[in-house]
Amino acid sequence: MAKIEDLKEEAKKLLREGKVKYIIGYGAGSNGWLAAPLFIKKPEDVDKLVWDPTCVHNLVRFLVDEKRRKARQKQPDKRPVGIMVKGCDSRAVVVLLQEKFIDRSDVYILGVSCEKMGVVDDAKLAKKLAGKKAKRVEVDAQDRFVVTTEDGKIEMAAEELLAERCLECKANFPVIYDLLSGEKTKRPLDKPFGSLEKIESLSAADRSSFWKEQLDRCIRCYACRSACPMCYCDECVVDSINLAVTADTTADEKAQRIHWIQRSAESSENLVYHLVRAIHLAGRCIDCGECERACPLDIPLRFLNKKLEKEAKELFGYEVGFDPALPALISCFRDEDPQDFIR
Amino acid sequence: MAEDYEPRIVAFLCKWCSSAGSDLAGVSRMEYPPNVVPIQVMCSGSVSPLYIFSAFNKGADGVLVSGCHPGDCHYIKGNYYARRRLNLVKKLLEYVGLETQRFQMSWVSAAEGTKFTQIIKDFVKELKPLGPQTKLRRNP
Repeated sequence: MAKIEDLKEEAKKLLREGKVKYIIGYGAGSNGWLAAPLFIKKPEDVDKLVWDPTCVHNLVRFLVDEKRRKARQKQPDKRPVGIMVKGCDSRAVVVLLQEKFIDRSDVYILGVSCEKMGVVDDAKLAKKLAGKKAKRVEVDAQDRFVVTTEDGKIEMAAEELLAERCLECKANFPVIYDLLSGEKTKRPLDKPFGSLEKIESLSAADRSSFWKEQLDRCIRCYACRSACPMCYCDECVVDSINLAVTADTTADEKAQRIHWIQRSAESSENLVYHLVRAIHLAGRCIDCGECERACPLDIPLRFLNKKLEKEAKELFGYEVGFDPALPALISCFRDEDPQDFIR
Repeated sequence: MAEDYEPRIVAFLCKWCSSAGSDLAGVSRMEYPPNVVPIQVMCSGSVSPLYIFSAFNKGADGVLVSGCHPGDCHYIKGNYYARRRLNLVKKLLEYVGLETQRFQMSWVSAAEGTKFTQIIKDFVKELKPLGPQTKLRRNP
């Protein structure tokens, strides 16, 4: 992982000169090993910033919240917001820029490189520790993880603890930044969509029962939607708030309004909800894994989004989050797009 | 049971070509299976993936989206957008285990009444052996 001394210097300078409103970064968390998002407004607090494999969050979600907050203020503070981004998070910023949701001048990007490493998967860690509580997770000089528990230290190879998405990461360094800490090094990657093979090799009936089993658990808490930096629609199809109710609206009209998706946690409805979410994220999901991490029932949502990322690559040669000047995947087309499925 | 089963197809037909094509089939008194519920939309590009998921959820056994041939779109490029988007929808539906044949797309111009009847005939023939759609259906 990169050293962030230069980033801290720059952050201090930015805050002292008042060039940024505040800086969103990672700080020590209160839950043992895991880092937590940290908002810094004073230059003296900059030293609280940390950068290690426990910085799992995608902070770009806070840019969406910031835009909402700004829209509500009469005289908003127009200065940019400083934000610490990993490789994947920087691609989320690129997508928001691509969609013109935010402006490049709204954000000061402090990029940090994962440098062949990545972030820890909490499910994998919990499995490894089998009930023990981790206090710290560190990386040693040989790029191995050292986990400190109450009973002492445990060493693990990087592959054992890294999140699946980090093992399949196309670029573990920021693609867009104002300041970059660390080297632009990549881990060797032979199968960018390897984790999908397990599901793709199943028969249609088995795939159906796999997803039915997984999505049966969904309680429709919409944590996946809340955690996602790309889910920023003002009006979501599942909320069904788009009926203008006036004094003249009859009870019948209210009852008859279109319910595209019901809100009950019924398995087919859950499937439709997750399909809609997946298709909305086609060509936009940057595989930051926040939906899966936020899910209280551990539904492997990443496999839905990753599948569409793969299809976008194979069908249209589209790679998400590398060029803010490119149009979004489904807002453009080519004459030679495949149409062998059309009669 | 299998012989009595009649699949129900929801067809989203674009107003300018496919809907006119189906109309032509009708006024020319061409015969085709009555299993299809046509829904006229302004353009195949206006068909949201949600329409398709919702149709399956509410009990459709097959969904057809039909638009103008590439280059003939009344809105110049609506069908190109549809082609890209619905390709992804098709892949996604296959991925969650829906049979490939259940979602189809076609280009039918206003003059192709015969082609329209042929597409519906083939679609019904393909759906019959599959039986009712239960994967996405609400409370089967």
